[in-house]
Amino acid sequence: MADADERRTVGRWVLLAYRLPREPSTPRITVWRKLERLGVARLGDGLVALPADARTREQIDWLAEEIVEAGGVATVWLATPGSAAQERAIAATMRAARAAEYQTLIEQARAALHGAAVERARTGRRLRGELRRIARRDFFPPAERDAARAAVDALTAAATTAGAATAPRATTLQEERA
Amino acid sequence: MRWATRAGVHIDRAACAWLIRRHLDPDAEFVFVDDPAEVPADATAFDMRGVELGHHGGQCSFETILGRYELDDPVLWKLAELVHEADLDDERFDAPEARGLDVALRALSMIVADPRVLELSGPLFDGLYEYHRRALLLGREPA
Repeated sequence: MADADERRTVGRWVLLAYRLPREPSTPRITVWRKLERLGVARLGDGLVALPADARTREQIDWLAEEIVEAGGVATVWLATPGSAAQERAIAATMRAARAAEYQTLIEQARAALHGAAVERARTGRRLRGELRRIARRDFFPPAERDAARAAVDALTAAATTAGAATAPRATTLQEERA
Repeated sequence: MRWATRAGVHIDRAACAWLIRRHLDPDAEFVFVDDPAEVPADATAFDMRGVELGHHGGQCSFETILGRYELDDPVLWKLAELVHEADLDDERFDAPEARGLDVALRALSMIVADPRVLELSGPLFDGLYEYHRRALLLGREPA
């Protein structure tokens, strides 16, 4: 029974094993940034993983191509973790990495709440974009995701109602005059 | 002429197929394969790993084809920005509509087969071409 459960919960992953020349450093940095953007789990030196789906497989494929074009070596693998516990551990590190990103965003949203309306609106828009970028690499959503969404919503709501709040007040004044 | 690409068409491949048919080969016939090894000998492969008409130097396949066939129509390069952002989302260009276009193509590919995705998305790219052609002439978004 436990075995059956374990098999059901282990998913398919896409792995990229790669090696890039030490010099020039530009392609190394480009690849590193792209991997960060994809939210990969780093399994070891030159070995990264993502849960496999059409999008991640394609992204990893193109990145492998780019590494080869930069004079490196890259192979792409489809794999299943040897145990559910192992997969949970990898998922936990990925979840923690996203949680930290959401936390930074929550702090920025809270700090901006006390700013001027224009500043709140601007920060709200920027953080909404950032939230979307984090969500795209968030394969195992932590509790912080909803909190981050709520914090950005609160910020944009504060920014829009600050402008709208003057309208009913004006009506009241007119009614009082009448 | 025959052209081959990966099955499960999304934005870059749909846009490339449109580009090929409209600007390179009106009689283009498309073949969809699951593995690069399945590409027929007489077909030109695009948007696949290890082929000339793929991603190169941080560009998507649509941009690669424009460059390779020296298509210098500025409207096509404007569409290339859209396809690039929809496909790679690396914020090299400002194309906020790209996200919506990517979702629309992904959604379409969930309910119909690849040849039908090309049939349905073709008029959309025709329309986007016209939109950006007018935008370029007007110097602002057309109504």
